[in-house]
Amino acid sequence: MDVPVTPGPLAPIAPVAPGAASPVSERAQARRETLRVLLRRPAFIIGSLVVLGWVVTAILGDRITPYDPFNDFAAGHQPPSTEHLFGTDRLGRDILSRVMVGSRDVLIVAPLAALLGVSVGTLLGLIMGYYRGTIDDVLSRLVEAFLALPVILVALLTLVVLGSSPAVVVCVVGILFTPIVARTVRSAVLSERQLDYVTAAKLRGESGLFILSREIFPNVLGPTVVELTVRFGYAIFTVATLSFLGVGIQPPSPDWGLAVSEEYTNMISGIWWPTLFPALAIASTVVAVNLIADSLQSVLTE
Amino acid sequence: MDFKRLDLVRRSATPIELDVVEAYANGRITRRQFIQRATVIGLSLPAIGAVIAACGPGAASVAPTAAGSAEPGASAPASAPAVTGGTIRCAIQKPVKVDPVSMEDLGGYGIVAQSFEFLCTQQTIGDPGGLAAGLAETWTPNEDGTVWTFKLRQGVKWQNGADFNAADVVATMERLVAAGNSGLKGVLEPGGAVATDDATVTFTLAGGNGNFPYLVSIYNAQTVITPADYVAGTTVDQRPDGTGAWKLVNYDPQVGATFERNPDWWGGQTPLDGTEFLFFDSTGPMITAYQGDQVDAIVQFDVLSGAALFDDPNFTLIATPAALHRQIWMRCDTGQFAQKEVRQALALTFDRPALITQLFKERAELGNDHVIWPGYPYFDDAIPQRTQDIEKAKSLLAGAGVSDLTATLHAGQLQEIPDLATLLKSQAAQAGITLNIEVESLDTFYNAQWCPPGATPPCSGAAELGIVDYGHRATPDVYLNAALKTNGIWNSSQYTSADFDAAFTEFQQAVTVDAQKAACTKIETILNEDVPVGVPYFYNYLAGNSNKFTGVFSSALGQMSFSQTSQVG
Amino acid sequence: MARFIARRLLLSLLTLYLLASIVFIIVNVLPNDVGRTILGPFAPQESVDALNERLGTNRPILIRYVESIVGVFTLDFGESFVNGRPVLPQLSEAIVRSAKLAGLALAITIPTAIAAGLYAARRRDRKSDRAIVLLGVTSSSIPEFVTGTILVVVVGVQLGLLPVLANAPRNADALTQIRYLLMPALAMAIVYFGYIARMTRAGTIDVLQSDYTRTATMKGLKTEQVMRRHVLRNALIPTVAVIAVQIGYLFGGIIAVERIFAYPGMGQTMLFAAQRKDIPMLTAGVIIVGIVYMLATLVADLVIAWMNPRIRLDAER
Repeated sequence: MDVPVTPGPLAPIAPVAPGAASPVSERAQARRETLRVLLRRPAFIIGSLVVLGWVVTAILGDRITPYDPFNDFAAGHQPPSTEHLFGTDRLGRDILSRVMVGSRDVLIVAPLAALLGVSVGTLLGLIMGYYRGTIDDVLSRLVEAFLALPVILVALLTLVVLGSSPAVVVCVVGILFTPIVARTVRSAVLSERQLDYVTAAKLRGESGLFILSREIFPNVLGPTVVELTVRFGYAIFTVATLSFLGVGIQPPSPDWGLAVSEEYTNMISGIWWPTLFPALAIASTVVAVNLIADSLQSVLTE
Repeated sequence: MDFKRLDLVRRSATPIELDVVEAYANGRITRRQFIQRATVIGLSLPAIGAVIAACGPGAASVAPTAAGSAEPGASAPASAPAVTGGTIRCAIQKPVKVDPVSMEDLGGYGIVAQSFEFLCTQQTIGDPGGLAAGLAETWTPNEDGTVWTFKLRQGVKWQNGADFNAADVVATMERLVAAGNSGLKGVLEPGGAVATDDATVTFTLAGGNGNFPYLVSIYNAQTVITPADYVAGTTVDQRPDGTGAWKLVNYDPQVGATFERNPDWWGGQTPLDGTEFLFFDSTGPMITAYQGDQVDAIVQFDVLSGAALFDDPNFTLIATPAALHRQIWMRCDTGQFAQKEVRQALALTFDRPALITQLFKERAELGNDHVIWPGYPYFDDAIPQRTQDIEKAKSLLAGAGVSDLTATLHAGQLQEIPDLATLLKSQAAQAGITLNIEVESLDTFYNAQWCPPGATPPCSGAAELGIVDYGHRATPDVYLNAALKTNGIWNSSQYTSADFDAAFTEFQQAVTVDAQKAACTKIETILNEDVPVGVPYFYNYLAGNSNKFTGVFSSALGQMSFSQTSQVG
Repeated sequence: MARFIARRLLLSLLTLYLLASIVFIIVNVLPNDVGRTILGPFAPQESVDALNERLGTNRPILIRYVESIVGVFTLDFGESFVNGRPVLPQLSEAIVRSAKLAGLALAITIPTAIAAGLYAARRRDRKSDRAIVLLGVTSSSIPEFVTGTILVVVVGVQLGLLPVLANAPRNADALTQIRYLLMPALAMAIVYFGYIARMTRAGTIDVLQSDYTRTATMKGLKTEQVMRRHVLRNALIPTVAVIAVQIGYLFGGIIAVERIFAYPGMGQTMLFAAQRKDIPMLTAGVIIVGIVYMLATLVADLVIAWMNPRIRLDAER
């Protein structure tokens, strides 16, 4: 989605004397300061713990699950009990184990998509914001056209044409996120380029590329990082929805969105557990990521 | 045995009829199989009743319970007091095509069969599986089954008022033959259907065929009779006037179809005023709709989606044993499964009862790696049922010099097939076979893994291992011909066996009960031994309706019959 | 003002052209045999070739591109692969249905979110403010299909308060239709509540801190008057922008919600088209939603320009 988590004026995290001597250590110190401030916010802590938790289960996978999530077939549709904390699904597999392993696909596909979107978007935003002129006009029109595209629907169309493999999902979602990121970075660059240190660098005769990479980019890092986190949250949201619609991750993956789509009709008959737990997993992850993004935004822009 | 009564029937019987009667009288086929065979070859119900009465003490009457409702407590249409009026709302999968000649999906079959009818239709009294009179009242074969004579029902009118006669039937058949209808292909040639008079049609077949009436029945869904001047390619909403009990009033390809009672139907006044069909893209929402009281009946659903319905006391389940099955094909000409022993090994890892329990909650029958469904009257149960035997599988693999067999199991996204793949993977792993599952959407799967188009021979581009679905057929001809015969159009396993081809030809040409059964035994034995395809089960066709209605029947091809349906008083 | 509108309109048309081009590229990036897709894998090659000839799929790509762009501007999207009928008439009913659902969702969410945002902004940094922000973050993180299923189970089945299928019987009156649409609309409204509330809050805070508001207060105007005359107008500018931009995402949510509630709107049609590889139908859907989005942003821009003369004048310079 294209709205920053808690909107507010965006300002760079420039240290006291930008471009002054030993910028690296200054920045490193600033970063440590930021981290300390972040760690005092409960939202950040909770969010990070949840995300970390899912990452750990994704990495360790079936080594820490109570049952084998793929080959252990007990009686189908058993409600949650002491033996199966989250109950069993239609084939009798333990749902807790599957939820734990289900984080893996999403936590690979979503960050890659977010990274793709943010990298290309930042590049575009930097170019558009700094050079302005015809390039900016043309690219802006293109960006607007892309923004008019409904993300899920275009993803649907593309996945139908190209077939739904994880690689295609990453590319499609990533590319569809690019324009939003580009716009955010562009506006940040626009406010940066008017500042004194940029004029100083130009007078010194530095090339545009140098200015962009050494002077401007580090100072738009704040909004970029926030954007990355927000994109990550919505990548999870979008990939889960695509899996729910059947064009994302394919069976027999224990992916959360897919799990919901496989058994959601049973909720009506009272068999709620195969659907509720994966759904809560999705919700918890996206909420956690957004809490982190929210904290980052407050800290990095004050 | 009342020989005198039996003799009465014998004397007037044609050779084929005689053969069936003899088979039953001598105990070579069961009563149920006799009724099935007899109705197919056109023996009249009184004659059938007479034979049964003659052949055994305490033989029950021919018309015991309401067919199509295999569950106890099913409704019998005749006995309950019929309330007239009302509409039934039915959930059906969205039809892809409603052009009677070229339709291929259950949604289309179901809609078209409301307003159009067949020569022979579903048996709704007595055991399912035989045929009842539809637009044809009687039919008889000649001595060797090469010529079939159908006498048409009198006084039938099209919904636009025109009279129904033999010319309509002949035109319909010609149209179907020209379009290459899969059931009639190779059986009926152009010009094979002739109207000998206004009320009689004579079919001269390419060769003897003891099952012909099935091929012009409800079980060959495209053979609805359309008017003589019907143009192929017209859809049923463009020209809705059929002969059936329901008139199409409204059709929206995205939403649904509405039908009204046809006051001039030859079958009389239907108890209900009308029927309404709602289209759905998948089974889940159908179940939701039923539970939300927005539909009263469901055309077809699978066990795993409809789990809730089994425990619902207000739901009448229509579970029809059917030849619906999945084939796990294995390439016999190249690849890792080219050796027969490897294919047998894989088949030996199947835990069939577990599959039936997990995937169908027992609503399926065991399959024995051949396509002869136990419900066919010529099925031979003497072939030993293959069961899971991991040790034997391992030794077969070792004997074939294969270790660490790893293959990709392809599957299409359809009902329980991805779950079947998951269970098979787990079962095969016990014998050291590693299967990597790849699921794709159905269209992609058919075109990329099962039968890539443009290949010669057909399906020679198929993947090494995959699961494909087969719908119900009243005779195994299509399965045998298309999937297993050399160069068959659906032969994804590229199976070539001269013995099998010969046995199949023998089966097609057999008209007597014994000949058919003998041919089938050969077919079953050869397929079970060669295992070009694994067939773990034949599952039941599931449909159902709310207890507010009674007298609902369904074929296994999505055709629900509401002409005898009424609200419960 | 007229120049501003004209300029915006022209820009919109340009964007539409780019949109159509992007969609054309996506659809044609892979060589695909249209005739084969329609007739299926078993049709004889001659029929496939004949159909391709008839549909003109073998013509040079430039001609097809021009045709497709012209088609977009004349709203002619060709025929469906699935049933051969023209695409747009099949979509029009579905569009109307989805519009009703989306309309109800917006009608629920916009007033409540704006009210919540204003409330939170005036009590900035107090507990109620933090609570509303947290609620906003949480509710917009939960995918619509999650809230949808929970609503179905709790409200629809267990409590039996609302019907579980969204499609009311034909010829139902407006109130009944709303009753049927209430749950799916709620599922969507919950997600958009968060964005709109937070946008309103931020905009209001900005304005409350601005010079002219403080001037107004110092002039002696009561808070209510200040709110009404100055704050509301300007605070709502970012909100209007957000609402317009969300249209694209609204549609994504609709697909999932329509699936759960079996509502035969655009979302279901698109999903079915995807399953059947009905590319003309999907293309039409994308373009139509794109057009709706551009109209929405156009209207939003006009509203904003009307509300804030500075922007309008700026653009006209």
